[in-house]
Amino acid sequence: MSATLIPETGSAASALRRNFWRGVWRVMRRKPSRMVGVVILAGFVLMAVLGPMLLPEHLPDDPGAITQPPSWEHWLGTDPQGRDVIALVVKGSRYVLLTAAITALITVVVGTAIGLFSGFRRGRWDTVLMRLTDMKLTIPGLPLLLVLATVWRFGSPWQMGLVLGLLGWGGVARAVRAQTLSLRERGFIEAARGLGLSTTHIIGRELLPSMAPYIAMNMLISVTGAVYSQVGLFFLGVLPYESDNWGVMLNLAVFQAGAMITPNALGYLLGPLLAILLLTLAIVLVVDAMDEIFNPRLREE
Amino acid sequence: MTLIARRLAGHLARGFVMILVVATISFFIINNIPGDPMAARYEKLIEQGMAPEAARQAVKVLYGFQPDGSLWQQYADFIGGLFRLDLGVSVSRPGTPVLDVLTDAAKWTVLPVLAGTLLSFLVGIVLGVYAAVKRAGKLGDALSISGSLLHGIPQYVLGMLLVVIFATLTGLLPADGSVDILYEPGWNAGYLGSLVEHAVLPVLTYALSAYGGWILAMKSSVVTVLGDDFILAAELRGMKRSIVFRYIARNAILPLFTMLALSLGLLLGGAVFIEKIFNYPGLGWLLIGAVNDRDYALMGGAFLLITAGTILANIIADLFYTVIDPRVRSGEEAS
Repeated sequence: MSATLIPETGSAASALRRNFWRGVWRVMRRKPSRMVGVVILAGFVLMAVLGPMLLPEHLPDDPGAITQPPSWEHWLGTDPQGRDVIALVVKGSRYVLLTAAITALITVVVGTAIGLFSGFRRGRWDTVLMRLTDMKLTIPGLPLLLVLATVWRFGSPWQMGLVLGLLGWGGVARAVRAQTLSLRERGFIEAARGLGLSTTHIIGRELLPSMAPYIAMNMLISVTGAVYSQVGLFFLGVLPYESDNWGVMLNLAVFQAGAMITPNALGYLLGPLLAILLLTLAIVLVVDAMDEIFNPRLREE
Repeated sequence: MTLIARRLAGHLARGFVMILVVATISFFIINNIPGDPMAARYEKLIEQGMAPEAARQAVKVLYGFQPDGSLWQQYADFIGGLFRLDLGVSVSRPGTPVLDVLTDAAKWTVLPVLAGTLLSFLVGIVLGVYAAVKRAGKLGDALSISGSLLHGIPQYVLGMLLVVIFATLTGLLPADGSVDILYEPGWNAGYLGSLVEHAVLPVLTYALSAYGGWILAMKSSVVTVLGDDFILAAELRGMKRSIVFRYIARNAILPLFTMLALSLGLLLGGAVFIEKIFNYPGLGWLLIGAVNDRDYALMGGAFLLITAGTILANIIADLFYTVIDPRVRSGEEAS
């Protein structure tokens, strides 16, 4: 009997999956702006993975062309060492995106685990964990990062991502707990419990899949948060300059090349600024598209 | 009334614990600086022929703690000082108590951020109502998109763009410092005018970056209220539009007030980037300077003050909500 059952459920699942991808395709096609978001995001990932490999270890500098305004040779001008601004942006993208990915991963894994545990178990542990989360959310993040800059070395993306992730899970934990609390009262969870299914099955097979899109959206939002914080931290100039990061470029452009005083260095300032704006725009568009795919109330059938 | 008093007592107790926790965190961070700079400095002073007692005092001035004694002894010293509002002495400003430096900087943060918050709040709620009522139209759409965009752009990017537009390219407004040093401080027109002129761009940056959040929140709040039955009932009874509008506004604005109280908690620490970009001598600017100068006493004090502000605002927000929302009040009394 099981032999006849398995292919059936298999094909049903694959049909479901096919319908899902068809839905994704439809939403994407209806508003091309969302496609643009996905394309830009993919472009940034490619840039971070492949870009630094295509460029030399030390970018060629040119003492004869320092802090040049945009030209045909250098589209966004050059920095005070005569290096091409676009190449610098590409080099910096690896640190920025790798950090963002690590941060998002830690945020989501820790936040989801704590939120699920809290919302599913309820009772005393819930109270304790949520009090802790509230306390964590009260401490202002940026000032804390500034204080941490005196003891923690933020030299590599791993060190940066670890700190940002461990500081950032509070919001996700709260959101996931609220979702868990509302989902566990729904019929399908009660049915699963009535069937005597194990807790691991209920959480892993029933709860998590219905929350997955929600969690994925939170993950993308924490990516933007991670980009802002790390670039901001480097921009404030409290970290050593040796890392390749857009924030270092911003800091040098404003406080050393004087981009706010001489229009000559504007290109140097605009390079990282445009990169941040484009990345933000892409993520906003993708989150918007995901919202439409997964949120039935917004679907334009 | 007893209810509010009881809530207040609970909040104050929790806030007190929070401040102790944050003080402890900053103590251990400073104590864990790699290479133990305190011990190194102490040894060096002894080597230079200083008496142990004098060397200890010198190091205490530098870091705010006794360099020797057990960790717990040092910790007790630090917390004891906290109760007497003794945050130590700033190193980068020799001889000045940290508390004086902080209170001096606080006014440069509080006033511009307060102005920016209120400005963005007022504009945001008015346009938010408009965007909700006209959400099918072109203008409503444009308002929502402007809100999303401004909400998404980081504060420092916005600040730099404003500097480039209004200072670098056109030279309309100053973008450096809080006042022109040419003027005599006091109540004279030149000084006050210069103060206002220097505050325009920081306030505008803050207002623009906060505006997106307000318009989006107000819009969604109004949209929710618009769907409520009592609005339909009021319309069916033929009430005047202005009265219906008042019903909508009163109900929709309630959650916004809580958000406003919470955002006031960011008064002290919310303008770090703006103060850096505009070289504005507020608390955030002070904190960055303290981190760069490794002025640990000042750094710890600024961090503590910023956190205390946030905690206080949380308490106020909660109490405020109890006072203005009759539903919360009666719900509490019934239980």
